[in-house]
Amino acid sequence: MFLLPKGNPLFENLAVSKLKLPEVLLKLSTGNFTGYASFVFQSSTTILVFESGKLVSALLEQNNGSRQTGFEAISSLVDLMVTSGNGILNVYKLSKDLTMCIHALLQGEILYKAQELKLIDIKTLLEKIKSDQMNGCLRIYTNERSAIIFYKDGNPLGFFHDGSHDIETSSTESQKIAGLPGAKIDLYSTQGIEELMGVDLLEVVNIQKIWDTAISLNQTEKDKTGKEREERDRKIAALKLADLEEQVKVIVTEYVGKVGRGVVDKELADQGGNACLMDETRVVRFIAGIERSAKLLIGATSIKAMMEKLSSAIATANHNL
Amino acid sequence: MEYFIDLLGRLNPFDTIQVILWGLAGVMSFYFSIGNARVWTSISLGFFLVFLSQAYLMNPFAESYYKLSAFHYIIGTVAIMVITHGFLEYYVFCRTFEISGKKFIVYLTTAFILAGSGVFLAINPTPSPNTIRNIKMVENSIWVFLSLMNLELIRKIYVAIKDSTISKGFFAFGIVFLCIFLWKGSELYLQVYQWDKEWLEIITLTDEESNIEDFIGRVQFSQLVSRYAALCSGFSVGGTFVYIYRLLR
Repeated sequence: MFLLPKGNPLFENLAVSKLKLPEVLLKLSTGNFTGYASFVFQSSTTILVFESGKLVSALLEQNNGSRQTGFEAISSLVDLMVTSGNGILNVYKLSKDLTMCIHALLQGEILYKAQELKLIDIKTLLEKIKSDQMNGCLRIYTNERSAIIFYKDGNPLGFFHDGSHDIETSSTESQKIAGLPGAKIDLYSTQGIEELMGVDLLEVVNIQKIWDTAISLNQTEKDKTGKEREERDRKIAALKLADLEEQVKVIVTEYVGKVGRGVVDKELADQGGNACLMDETRVVRFIAGIERSAKLLIGATSIKAMMEKLSSAIATANHNL
Repeated sequence: MEYFIDLLGRLNPFDTIQVILWGLAGVMSFYFSIGNARVWTSISLGFFLVFLSQAYLMNPFAESYYKLSAFHYIIGTVAIMVITHGFLEYYVFCRTFEISGKKFIVYLTTAFILAGSGVFLAINPTPSPNTIRNIKMVENSIWVFLSLMNLELIRKIYVAIKDSTISKGFFAFGIVFLCIFLWKGSELYLQVYQWDKEWLEIITLTDEESNIEDFIGRVQFSQLVSRYAALCSGFSVGGTFVYIYRLLR
């Protein structure tokens, strides 16, 4: 993602998970905001550019370089905001001219792309920018460094380069990069401010509807996932309970004989199934039932040993459940 | 005191030993029932009642008071019914693992049946020796029938719980009921063919004749079986309860 000048920060590092996009956009729109809002997620960054409260461009760029613009970008941003638990919002106020240049950088017409500087006559190019009274920006870069020159009506508005936070008036850094071997340029142009003001994505896109749909879909997905998790947890718990039931039967059979399995089955049925082994009150009644039956079959010493083993097995299993 | 010494002198030593053995068995069984589950209450109480029914042999008033004599036999009948109820409950437990009811109910019901029997005897005419013999015959019939039933119940219980500690105790109960079957069965055999002591005493008053002399061999054998089986019954019941008590310790 491009590094952009920060201008005057209105908000920085707001947690996106606590925000609602329609409310954010409404606030920026009604506040006649000029500048840009960047939504930074782990895998992508979205830039929304505003001119006097109008959303003039939206760009979403993935970390792998793929881009979406306009409706697609907004729609993807909504999905990210709804589904992603992280992400931050930064809002920077810029001058109208600079905002126009940012728009050019993001979504402007590409006049030159990755053009090697040594193959073009830079002087002639700069003269052409001036003579055509171009609005836009010229990006000069190598593999390691980059600088951007913003133009309004063919005149440089300022210079911005890696490592800086804001627009500078000195062209030194740009000239240095232009002098480096392998330096390339991108040239983006855009319409003037008046033309840009004719565009407002907020009027074209029903943000509220997109947001509500995304929330609803996300909720459905969450419910579905929740149900699946619940079902999975229930199955795991049932398996663990079945294991515990078998363990209890083995212990009782060890002391009481094969009739012990029947005794356990009957007592579990009386207590409403093997889930009682997880219930503190019902497990006491279950053990008391086993003891009462065992008194008809085995001696007191054996009963005591069996009870200790049973209680220990159930306690251990409950601890692990 | 002189009367008592005279009475002891007239007692058959076998009868005395039999009552003493049943007395010990009664004490053992009653003691056993105190600390154990309700199922054992019926069985233990039943065997204790056997002692009470046998005690007529040493009751100085039993011979003089016919109603008391009849009551001893009724106690004997109730005894085997209570015992059978206990084994039936144990069998039900083995099949369904269901334990229900209270000990108190067993004691109360038994007491109520005995009291009812007492009232029945009180409001009816004094039983004649023939009536008493009939009551004794009914008692023996019930004992024989229920002993066979209990043997089958015990077999089924043993099969169901044969790998548990107490199963050997039920094997011992099997021996007990085999002895009881022989004891009561031989008595019933003598009664059915009118070769029993009571019938012979009755016919001395009615001038009827008995064919006992024609079958003296089988009569003596039956009397022998009855006598020793009665001793073995008392001894085996006491021993069985001691054995089960040790198993369940």
